[in-house]
Amino acid sequence: MSRILRIAMREYISYVRTVGFWLSLCAMPLLLYGVTALPSVMEKTTPPPRLAIVDLTGQGLGGALKAVLESDEAKTGPRTLVVAAAPPEALAASDPAAAGAVVRRYMAAARSGRLGRAGLDDAVVLSRKGGRVALDLWTDNLSDQALEGRLHEALSQVLRRQSLIQAGVSPGVIAAADRIEPVVAVFSPKAAEGGRVSLRDRLPSLTGFAMGFLLWSTVLTGAQILLISVIEEKSTRILEVLLSSASAAEIMGGKILGAGGVTLSVLTLWGLIGAAIMAVSAPAMGADLWAVLVGRGLVVYFALYLVGGYLMYASIFVSIGAFCETPRDAQTLLAPVMIVLMIPLVFMAQSIRHPDSPILAVLSWIPPFTPFLMIARVASGPSLLRIGGSLALMAATTAVVIWICGRAFRAGALSTGRVDLRGLAAKLIVR
Amino acid sequence: MSAALRLEHVTKRYGAFEAVSDLGFEAGAGRICGFLGPNGAGKTSTIRMILGLVAPTAGKITVLGSPDARQVRSRIGFLPEERGLYRRMTPIEAIVFFAGIKGVPTAEARRRARAMLEAQGLGEAMHRPIKALSKGMAQKVQLLSAIAHEPDLVLLDEPFSGLDPVNQQSLEAIIRGLADRGATVVFSTHVMQHAERLCDQVVLLARGRKMFDGPVDQARAAAPRRLLLEGGLDRAAVAALPGVTSVEIDEALPDEAAGGRRIVAALAPGAPAQDALKAAFARDLDLRRFEVREPSLHDAFILLTEGRA
Repeated sequence: MSRILRIAMREYISYVRTVGFWLSLCAMPLLLYGVTALPSVMEKTTPPPRLAIVDLTGQGLGGALKAVLESDEAKTGPRTLVVAAAPPEALAASDPAAAGAVVRRYMAAARSGRLGRAGLDDAVVLSRKGGRVALDLWTDNLSDQALEGRLHEALSQVLRRQSLIQAGVSPGVIAAADRIEPVVAVFSPKAAEGGRVSLRDRLPSLTGFAMGFLLWSTVLTGAQILLISVIEEKSTRILEVLLSSASAAEIMGGKILGAGGVTLSVLTLWGLIGAAIMAVSAPAMGADLWAVLVGRGLVVYFALYLVGGYLMYASIFVSIGAFCETPRDAQTLLAPVMIVLMIPLVFMAQSIRHPDSPILAVLSWIPPFTPFLMIARVASGPSLLRIGGSLALMAATTAVVIWICGRAFRAGALSTGRVDLRGLAAKLIVR
Repeated sequence: MSAALRLEHVTKRYGAFEAVSDLGFEAGAGRICGFLGPNGAGKTSTIRMILGLVAPTAGKITVLGSPDARQVRSRIGFLPEERGLYRRMTPIEAIVFFAGIKGVPTAEARRRARAMLEAQGLGEAMHRPIKALSKGMAQKVQLLSAIAHEPDLVLLDEPFSGLDPVNQQSLEAIIRGLADRGATVVFSTHVMQHAERLCDQVVLLARGRKMFDGPVDQARAAAPRRLLLEGGLDRAAVAALPGVTSVEIDEALPDEAAGGRRIVAALAPGAPAQDALKAAFARDLDLRRFEVREPSLHDAFILLTEGRA
């Protein structure tokens, strides 16, 4: 077995043996499940807020508003709102401010739990102001703007109906008009079947974004494994012994290969788990996803950009680790690299809606960003020339980065004390 | 005898600082060579140059017949000054790994590792993680990792540091065993006693310069033999004895009031000690003790480095 493989094997086994590896292996699928399933679980288990409608208009708008809200509730699945009886003192109030004061007392009592199930979470006070209908919403939930929008829409509907009825339109005609719904279809030259856009056509851009994020986290994870490993070897002088036994290129190559094996194993396992879940729970979507990944060659591009991105950043992290004896030493040197790594993360989400925006197109040609941004954009079907060109530029840059980092790694492995940038530059040029 | 290691006019500069200056010496095959000098003498820099880890600024180094040690890596064993091993590995795994990257097949490396660990009394610990071993045990494991591939040249940087006397003794035995097998051993130390017991040849280094290169006896011979005299002695009378070149009062004795003292006198090279003894009796000196002390390597080192250490 060659030296490079022995070093890779040691690196792989040493990491796979740790408890942390198995924890992170299991944690990611659980985390993903949590992220996707928890919002719905939370919604199901949280009791719907209780809303009271205090109508001071004297026009029966409160009852109409309640009817519209409950009609909406009946159309959706689990209840999102319960319209409760309004406090009698509030209904007897002379103006919206007095009604608001009563409502506030009830809401405070509800917060303290004194009213039990009869408590109020939200209240609406309807009144007339300068000839217009006013709606004051009292709520404890300051961040939920959805309720405000929903009430606005419902009250507008009530007022439109009232206006139409006053204009002599029959309620039957109004109801029939409300039921009218246009048939909207989206077409695109990029769509597969007859130009009509389906979920299957939108899947590539979503998948591209997901793969970009996956590639980013995979590269970062692999590079960090390497960083910690090299710091350990540097601080214990194992690096010096290794350098007396193998070339810097062999050590660096072996370590990068070993950590790459770890990330590849994790990716494979996650892929298999994901495929199994898809096959059982959503086989149709699984088939669509498979068609996107394989049919459109996303898997191949992912592999190519993963190799380029991983080699580039792994080499940088390894060479930084060679200058550091503690993770704290590494923090200072890593800061600029982390800033560079954050840039594609910021722009990656834009690739779903604007894959061909000029900024994204330019950024994806810059080699440190290429792997993450190109895999996110590749689903939108950029020309083969762009894909090939970006791959070639990335490969050339990666080769240069590996060469420089190899020399820096060697200089760092034998260095002691603080990093001397002038000395390092000299060592990069001369052996 | 062919030289396993040859350095010719080797100089290493780090910026304006000259760590090693015009160093030259040879270590013959199957010999134990002590590389002696205080901290900062240039020992570690020289070992790194020998290993090909850093290039000399000037001069030539030939290792096992090759002008570049990196070409004969698999025939060299190296133990660095500051020790460390993969803490989660077991001793047997560590030895197999390091022997493996030196080209020993896994099965053979495993066989050798078992035998070496058993021989060093580490048989029971061979499957325990290294982090669970004592410091002495871990250092032994590291040394075994450095020599399991049966190298022709072994470079040990301060191998005795941090070891208790028992482990120092077993390390000396290992070093002798390596030389008996035909390997050349070069080890650096600033403790002269180890070199005196082990070395065929010593290279004395001070502030990057070679002060001496040759057999231990020859190094010791560079320092004067000394006489230890006790009694009611007069400094001038001792200085007048034949062959005595200098005297110094070492210590006052309990009968100091009666002139009792211990005097150390240096003898001129080749001067017979018995002439001084005969003269002392002939001159009726009040002599209660007369002892000839052969020079130690430490004495020679102080003299040869002219206080540069």
